Amino acid sequence: MWKKKKSQPVHETEYMGEDLIKLVDMVKVYDTGTIKVLGLHRVNLTIKRGEFVAIMGQSGSGKSTLMNVLGCLDRPTMGHYYLDGIDTANLEPDELSTVRNRKIGFVFQSFNLISRTSALKNVELPMTYAHVNQKAREQRAKELLERVGLGTRYEHMPNELSGGQRQRVAIARALANQPPLILADEPTGNLDTASSVEIMELFSQLHKEGATVVVVTHEEDIAAFTERIIRFRDGKLVSDTKNKPQIQTEEEAVTMQKEGSHAD
Amino acid sequence: MLLENMSMAIHAIKANKMRSLLTMLGIIIGIGAVISIVSIGDTMRFMVSDLYKNVGTNLAYVYVWPKDGGDMRSGDYFKLDEMERIKEAFKDEIVYMDSEANVAGEAIKGRNKIKYKFEGIDSNYPDVKKINIIYGRNISEADIKARKNNVVLEASGAKDLFGTENAIGKTFRTTINNVTSYYNVVGVYRLDLTPIEKMMQESNDTRSGYIPYSLLVWPDDNLFNIRFYAKEGTNMTTFSDKFTSYIARTKNREKEDITFSSTEDEMKSVDSVMGGLSAAVGGIAAISLLVGGIGIMNIMLVSVTERTREIGIRKALGAKTQDVLIQFLTESAILSAFGGILGIAVGAGLVYLGGAILGMHVVVKPSVILTAVSFSAFVGVFFGIYPASKAASADPIDALRYE
Ligand SMILES: Nc1ncnc2c1ncn2[C@@H]1O[C@H](COP(=O)(O)OP(=O)(O)OP(=O)(O)O)[C@@H](O)[C@H]1O
Ligand SMILES: [Mg+2]
Repeated sequence: MWKKKKSQPVHETEYMGEDLIKLVDMVKVYDTGTIKVLGLHRVNLTIKRGEFVAIMGQSGSGKSTLMNVLGCLDRPTMGHYYLDGIDTANLEPDELSTVRNRKIGFVFQSFNLISRTSALKNVELPMTYAHVNQKAREQRAKELLERVGLGTRYEHMPNELSGGQRQRVAIARALANQPPLILADEPTGNLDTASSVEIMELFSQLHKEGATVVVVTHEEDIAAFTERIIRFRDGKLVSDTKNKPQIQTEEEAVTMQKEGSHAD
Repeated sequence: MLLENMSMAIHAIKANKMRSLLTMLGIIIGIGAVISIVSIGDTMRFMVSDLYKNVGTNLAYVYVWPKDGGDMRSGDYFKLDEMERIKEAFKDEIVYMDSEANVAGEAIKGRNKIKYKFEGIDSNYPDVKKINIIYGRNISEADIKARKNNVVLEASGAKDLFGTENAIGKTFRTTINNVTSYYNVVGVYRLDLTPIEKMMQESNDTRSGYIPYSLLVWPDDNLFNIRFYAKEGTNMTTFSDKFTSYIARTKNREKEDITFSSTEDEMKSVDSVMGGLSAAVGGIAAISLLVGGIGIMNIMLVSVTERTREIGIRKALGAKTQDVLIQFLTESAILSAFGGILGIAVGAGLVYLGGAILGMHVVVKPSVILTAVSFSAFVGVFFGIYPASKAASADPIDALRYE
């Protein structure tokens, strides 16, 4: 309905290089007026297509700040951020919207579903903003909900779903436009262990199907699902290690629960 | 996308039913008031034109009235033979002419008495106004010429006075122009009043009737006034000029001393009064819609603040400034247009109810309804601009963080 800006058809860029995410000397400073807070300091980071990455660190270490930059919700103060070959530094707010819409699937700690709106409509939303027609939208949304195990709950409102179910709706929504990147900021932060494992297994599954997944967490158990763990401290990247995913089956999950490991 | 926006808007409005209704109240009352006042105005206009249609639009009154406020001269009045001369002179244009004389009094027959108001007419009055004779005959030319004490009485008057509607040949006593004499009933007619005419009747116990206008001449056989009906299609403006000149000449007066007023002029002045009324209604409409619009703006601002997080989510998922802007504009437009529709229902409902109670035909024009709906939608859009642009310009990250 609305003409796209001609200047930069960002989402149509055919970049198929290996690097999906590339941060170069990225600095983020929060200017609160009275004082300046350093959120991130000179971060250099490359994430390739198909990786499954955990971002870890203590509270206040800059994880969310990084996620906001990676998610094109916020812009770096200095340095560069290339997403799928696009330098995001020079994009207008509406162009960033388009990038988010086509390139990124968000999963938030607090689910962030739109209230009083059915699961189906929530999943359709990114496609609505991508101007996908109603029929195709609905069909794909149903497929996605089925895929996350909510095939019988299309018409449920968010407040009629459990936390784990809500997060699965959010994941279905994140997959709507088949974005190359899935960003999850503490996706299990509000869930019990069993639901957390379910959600992480869903991410593992997506990863196996080729998606690039970046998960922020401060729980080692959660990070254990991933293949690469990047640690931050005081806004600086302090370690970047390979990981061999261990917990994979329901049985082990139950064991883990019995051992008293608890997500808070 | 438009459809999507509409369904989202209706969704949001439904989610807060009570608040939406209260918000719409301003618009409902405003539009309701406008619809009812405009419709009452239209109904009145319709009634007046209907009334004139009954009376005839080619009716005119002519008399001498010195423009400098000087005294009337005896020659300024009209005489019966002069009336005949005028009729002859303008026989091509004038269909009917009399002196617009009325007489009110009390008719007595034995122990029965009625109040009456008789209209003095010429014999060809039925040419311009229907008289539904049920017994006897109309006033005849002979009655006029011979100035006979003959009366055509309305049926209920005949019944009250003589105990029967068929009162032909019966006589009653009354005093007209200080002379008490007997009058003969030569005809009885039935009055078919429209509801409006019934409303406008002075009092219910006054009976009507017709009497030769040649009887109502005083003092000294003088007539003050000429009343005439011009032929259908006569241009009253040019005819007025011609007629006034003639009267001025025969009366030895200036043209300015002759007053000529036609129903056409009166209708124009009624229309101008109605026009003034419309302007006043326009003012009321503007104020009430302004108040309603501010109400909508207020609630939309509250809604935008409440839904900051939703706006953040939408933006994170790819909504552009314009998407959010249109979403909220659609919401306020629908809110307002819906209020407008309810207002029309209320206003038109009241008008029809009033019409039903008074037994009147009411006029609610579709054009008025259309204007009201589109105007209220416009109010919604206009007063939605500020809240919507506030929502649209929200920074996604701030909005997502909003508690
Ligand atoms: N909008 C902001 N304004 C000012 N300072 C901010 C803002 N957002 C974050 N910060 C600061 O930046 C630093 C990094 O914060 P961030 O939210 O990235 O931490 P985090 O690693 O996500 O912590 P947590 O695990 O508690 O979520 C902190 O010192 C924080 O106070
Ligand atoms: Mg955080």
